[in-house]
Amino acid sequence: MATKTKTVKKSKAATKLKDAPGGAIGRRVYSIVTNKQKTIQERVAALAQAPLTVSDNEDNLKAVLAVLLNVDEPIEVRMAAMQSLQAASFSVMEFESSRGEYRAALRKVAQDPNPELRQRALGLLARQKDGFAQKKLLEGLHSPEKALVPPEKALQLLSYDVHAAAYKAARTIVDNPPNPTAKSEALRLLAADATASPMFEKVLLDKNEMRENRQISASALHALDPEKMQAVARNIVLDSADYDDIKATSLTALTQFGDNSRLAVDESLRKSVDRMKTEGSEKLQQSAKLFLTKYSE
Amino acid sequence: MIIELQINNSTSHDARFLGWGPSPCRIRLTNPSGTAGPSVDLQITGKTASGGGRVVFRAGATGVFLETITVTVPTSGGTVPFFASGKFGQASSNNGDVAIEVRAGATVIASVPVMVRIRKNANQLTTAERDRFVGAFAKLNNQGQGRFKDFRDMHVLVSLSQAHGAPGFLPWHRAYLLDLERDLQAIDPSVSLPYWRFDQPAPNVFTRDFFGESDQNGTVQFSATNPLQFWRTDGDLGVIRLPFFPTSTAPPGLLNELQTLALGGSSNTYKLFRQMERNPHGSAHVSFDGSIDDPATAPKDPLFFLLHCNVDRLWAAWQRKFNRFDPAIAASFDTMAASAAGHKLQDTMWPWNGITGGTRPPTAPGGPMSASPTVSAPGPQPRVRDLLDYQGVIGAVSELGFDYDDAPFV
Repeated sequence: MATKTKTVKKSKAATKLKDAPGGAIGRRVYSIVTNKQKTIQERVAALAQAPLTVSDNEDNLKAVLAVLLNVDEPIEVRMAAMQSLQAASFSVMEFESSRGEYRAALRKVAQDPNPELRQRALGLLARQKDGFAQKKLLEGLHSPEKALVPPEKALQLLSYDVHAAAYKAARTIVDNPPNPTAKSEALRLLAADATASPMFEKVLLDKNEMRENRQISASALHALDPEKMQAVARNIVLDSADYDDIKATSLTALTQFGDNSRLAVDESLRKSVDRMKTEGSEKLQQSAKLFLTKYSE
Repeated sequence: MIIELQINNSTSHDARFLGWGPSPCRIRLTNPSGTAGPSVDLQITGKTASGGGRVVFRAGATGVFLETITVTVPTSGGTVPFFASGKFGQASSNNGDVAIEVRAGATVIASVPVMVRIRKNANQLTTAERDRFVGAFAKLNNQGQGRFKDFRDMHVLVSLSQAHGAPGFLPWHRAYLLDLERDLQAIDPSVSLPYWRFDQPAPNVFTRDFFGESDQNGTVQFSATNPLQFWRTDGDLGVIRLPFFPTSTAPPGLLNELQTLALGGSSNTYKLFRQMERNPHGSAHVSFDGSIDDPATAPKDPLFFLLHCNVDRLWAAWQRKFNRFDPAIAASFDTMAASAAGHKLQDTMWPWNGITGGTRPPTAPGGPMSASPTVSAPGPQPRVRDLLDYQGVIGAVSELGFDYDDAPFV
């Protein structure tokens, strides 16, 4: 009975493929995808065409899933298989019946020996707020020997469904970062934590802090406490000892999101910005000109 | 002599925008002093600033557009209609960089600045166009609390069936982009949505001053002057996007424009053409690792809207090539009897229709479609069929008020 159903499905798919230009490609595609005698480039190129037909029948889907899950296949071909399935998943309703098998495959690949594939699968799962992926990511932050991805990537992926446990892990990393990028990503994650604005104000005002972290803190403070950010941004612009790029970020915040009525009559700020039109870095001059265009002319 | 010039049949400054199609205009004398007789002949012409847009005219609803037309205007104050249009290939870069001038003999008696406002290739925007666009987009987002939140909430897991994997995919996204574009234009009327032509290299798009450069971890870095550095969605700061291709090149494996336009098969049917949802559309989405590679998170990345603008442009190009604007022609749409709600021609589309529950999502964020000062279509609660005739080819009232730089009025 199962065989009969399968035959009917195949027959319908064959009709569809015959009618569609995508289908004409499709008949050739799967013979190349599964043929290990073909070159990697040929198989990757065939997989690029597979999204047009991969969810049209069960055999197509299984063929691509098998390539994705086979650790003996070349990594380029497995990555292309994952791309192909993910592209097809954009046809949400047509892909619906394949979604369960696809997610199960991604969970397997999330623990694959290949780090590139693992990271990609965890990313796709994290964006679907997959509980398995979140658990693995947090586990890796607490016990680095179990980590499936570097801490900076784990923090970034946890931001898709952030919760208290992730905040706690991020704060630990801000205090004791394993590397500079991990600290930056921990700060980004904490930008969703309403209680974190004092920390961001402190980082933003710390001239010894990495410039990138100060810029993240400006964006975070702007989101969590816009009034505070406007006040801090004004002070930074007026501080002759601060760095040009931080001043430019602060000026951008004032220009784009500032209180028009207040800034238009702020003479001391306008005079300082006027000097920046011709002094300092190109970006500072540029941001000064934009500010003055908005508030002085 | 004083005249009143109406653009898009309106005296409002907000209506002074033209596309490639005919925009209805009117002229009348509000003060006939200095004239003699029952009427006066006036010349209407365009005056273009250096590098600005160009405008052409015709007196009636049909006929050839000309650089200058002469209209006979009654001194009684009666209104005379005419039509203005952007000259194809010569769009504006700045608001008001072309004016419609009215002359009586050699004397200019009125000059109204207008803009030939067209959706352009993002890779070819001027610095000023780029900066105005990111400024408006950042303001629409407004640290995740602006109107953009509605657009984010329209394209989430529970609503994906309204817009994907079925015939309504292209009309729904056309409405989605149009609604967003109208809101951007409410912030800065000189802005139109640019497109990321993903089958060509677009190095200018992936710079810190525009849509950002990705670091090794896939976090997008913006310059200190770029307001997108404050981008925030769902409470998350920034944009996560790691391209699988060098951004000096086009992503590999995507159907190019010619291949996409051939997807409709020998009969050029929408039913087959809509396969483009998978490739190039889906394939373009997954040419990155990041928010844009998943349907439920894709609009977290502002690049989503440029990608979809190109998807819409491809549909527009296919419509033009095979004359598929008319909903009454079967090949213009996939009229599957079994289509879900929101995917049949006569269906209204969620969320603009406000319908919730049942086969529709539980909430309808954003309210009705934003109105335009230049056109009346598609109305506050658009139907699928209202999105097909975007240039008003079949009926002028259907015009949606946008055009692409490479798609002239048919």
